[in-house]
Amino acid sequence: MRFDFFQRISRAPTNPHPAPKPREFDVADLYRGPVAAGAAAEAPQRALDEKLRQAYFWIVNKAIISPHYDIEYNDGPAQRYLVGDARRALTLPSAQSYSSFILLPLLTFATRRKCLFVGGPGRGKTASAILMGVLSGAPVREVKRAMQHGHPQMTVADLLGNPLPADLVAAQSMDEIRIAWRSWLRMRVKIVDEYNRIPTRTQSALLTVMGDNYAEVLGQVFECPPSAWYLTANDDEGGGTFQVIEALRDRIDVIVQALAFNPRFLGDLLLRIEEDVRPEELMPRELVFSDDEVDEMGGAIRDIAVPEQVRRRLEFFASQFELCEPAGGQFEYMTKDTARLAGTPWHELAAAENGRDRLADLGCQTRNGLSVRNLTTLLVYAKALAWFRGNAEVELEDLRQVLPFVLHDKLRPDLDAPFFALPENAASRSDRVGWLRRLFDLANDEYTRLGLERDDPVGALAAQFEAGLDGVSERETRARLVKIEKLVAEQTRGRKLYGHLYDDLLKLKYLHQRYTNYLAWLRAQ
Amino acid sequence: MTPSPTICPAFAGALAARRAEFNRRTHEARRRHQQAFDEAALTAFLRTEVDGVVRAVAAVAQERVQEVVSAAYDIALELCGQGLAGGVGAGPAAFLGQVWRKLAPALAHVVAPLPEQVLGMLSNAALHLAALDGVRCSQWLDEMTALAPRIQTPAELRSLGQLLAWRAGAAHFRSGALAAASGLPAQLALAAFPESHASDWDALHARLLADPWHRPGQAGGREIGAFSGFGGVFAAPPQVRANDAGFVVASGERHFLLLADAYGAMLLAATREEFEAAGQARAELPVETRGGQLFFGRQALATDLPAAGLQVCATATTLAVSSPYSHAIRLLPREAAHG
Repeated sequence: MRFDFFQRISRAPTNPHPAPKPREFDVADLYRGPVAAGAAAEAPQRALDEKLRQAYFWIVNKAIISPHYDIEYNDGPAQRYLVGDARRALTLPSAQSYSSFILLPLLTFATRRKCLFVGGPGRGKTASAILMGVLSGAPVREVKRAMQHGHPQMTVADLLGNPLPADLVAAQSMDEIRIAWRSWLRMRVKIVDEYNRIPTRTQSALLTVMGDNYAEVLGQVFECPPSAWYLTANDDEGGGTFQVIEALRDRIDVIVQALAFNPRFLGDLLLRIEEDVRPEELMPRELVFSDDEVDEMGGAIRDIAVPEQVRRRLEFFASQFELCEPAGGQFEYMTKDTARLAGTPWHELAAAENGRDRLADLGCQTRNGLSVRNLTTLLVYAKALAWFRGNAEVELEDLRQVLPFVLHDKLRPDLDAPFFALPENAASRSDRVGWLRRLFDLANDEYTRLGLERDDPVGALAAQFEAGLDGVSERETRARLVKIEKLVAEQTRGRKLYGHLYDDLLKLKYLHQRYTNYLAWLRAQ
Repeated sequence: MTPSPTICPAFAGALAARRAEFNRRTHEARRRHQQAFDEAALTAFLRTEVDGVVRAVAAVAQERVQEVVSAAYDIALELCGQGLAGGVGAGPAAFLGQVWRKLAPALAHVVAPLPEQVLGMLSNAALHLAALDGVRCSQWLDEMTALAPRIQTPAELRSLGQLLAWRAGAAHFRSGALAAASGLPAQLALAAFPESHASDWDALHARLLADPWHRPGQAGGREIGAFSGFGGVFAAPPQVRANDAGFVVASGERHFLLLADAYGAMLLAATREEFEAAGQARAELPVETRGGQLFFGRQALATDLPAAGLQVCATATTLAVSSPYSHAIRLLPREAAHG
């Protein structure tokens, strides 16, 4: 028997939750307990969400010495203290809360997406990535060997593989050149350490693997298995040895920051030194996920429902940022992306304002809008978090918690905006997570203020259209068209144009066009 | 029990033979568990509980002593590291000590071949049962000890332990224990129910499966729960609803799952959602007063509770009677023909 602290897994449900199924009692529980009793007390098959929670708690409690609980959930009022001259709030959450540094990488593992660890040297970024590799069942040695270390001399061949020298000489065509592919391409968890030290050309090769899941050398293609990616960087602004190409940064789904070590946990660190313990070598086998289990997790996560009200609030939030009235002459082109593509200097756009309340308009806080990829990622991670918490549907709080990590470098702040000039928002200039969460809260407040939860005429028209056009008469179609036109007139009467209104008007235009086409079809019958 | 001043020669010999190894393990456990590790408790546990087991094993299988000492020593270190050994009074640690002193030596012939597994099972079972409110631990220990000579294998030990745990009041184990019991030798299974005087295990097994209130020689019905101010679990008179598993109970801000049969009643933690999901329609059925006596359908309710506010909640086999004037719940077998 080993007295291994690291081999212990929480036997109690790590997130007690209302039992969705009738209770079943296992009489074998009688022999489960603190003493190892061999096969007599083998653990029962666990649900995958519970297994992932156990993996989370094993890492938080055993592998990581000083976790920070920055993903806060509350069940009832939380204790809140205002601390220091800046009166920053310290919250003691009243429900199970989580450490983003562990939780987001685990959700990345479960959904096979891409996570970037940022933070200063020696804060556990690489160690955490290795833990994720071990979680996939690969031996520690293999995980470490397969890890790619970015360096300024890294070539495409270093990254992907070399053509076999004999083939280079003897081949009569490119098809005959075989490639010795690097072993890491086969890994289910891929780790690229210090990716911002990779030369730009090699980054482009990496982009193909990350984005399209295949590698190409001399016309030969290697299809990679589905995998989770972990990258590390000392500087999340891409200020490593080489500038990180934007497309590569855009492929990263979440960014988590390795927070500082709390010296109050020095005793644990000392014990680890004295015991010569490396947590990644001691991960219990019960926590390892097979490929099939990861597939199953992905399916279960996709099945998590997103209630309409949660979706609407996300729609409302996302609507705030793309509009840039001075950028386009045609309605559809009044976007920040139009200005970006044209290379219009940002300060010119900011100067050409239309009299909106730049403090109230959330769109003024950012220099860009959200892409489809961003929204997809946001929904996937919100579903994954809901599933991890044992829920069947996404709660607004799930969305609120994952949002800053997904949009960390996707939504770029305009630090010259009036919002950032306010003394109480000074911290938002450097704290991207806090700013994004505040941004989402402000959008939610506005959504509530506008009463859209109760009265959403555009949503009602969209729902009516979604119900289908089968059997809708010409008379009814005309009535609906008139209704849309009236609503457009009402929405635009004497009002400033804000992001959400802009998207509502575009939606109404879409509905109007669909009904117009349907009307034309009806007449042709 | 006072630790014996000396340990038996077999134990002393086994410790001496691998002294450096045992010292290394102790050192490792001390560092691992740090402040939680109680060396005095370890010494007492080795001198009393482990020594008793080693003496018994030495009497039946001298050649297995070294292995038994090694396994028992590791378990002792683990238990001491977690503060689970050396308890007195009525807590789990105290019951663990009783199991090691009384039951484990009686099972020496089963311990000897597989000491780690059997001693581990017994330790976990002791801690598990002692942590369950409503289980009669001393009954389980007495019945296990009485039948110990008839147990031949760890598998029999496992099944019998589960069966007797149910008999001792772990009502939630009923179906699992009866399933496990079907794998026991018939004579051993029958011996677990001496009050039945049955000779046909299959018939008795079928009867036990069919009727949770079947218990030869004892009238059905029991009472569970009391005011938390007097050491009970209910802060307020409980409300009871039936669900598929049994009953769900709400009292104050807490919720419980209530399972009951002829051998015991068990209150387990439940959630508000489970209570709310339990069928409201099945929760309250009419109770009538006829001739000064309370009736549920045609079944007379032998209760001293006032009729006002009385609630009877029924599953297919059990009636739960609760009242706003009482913190206790009366559980009665439901008369199938009349209910």
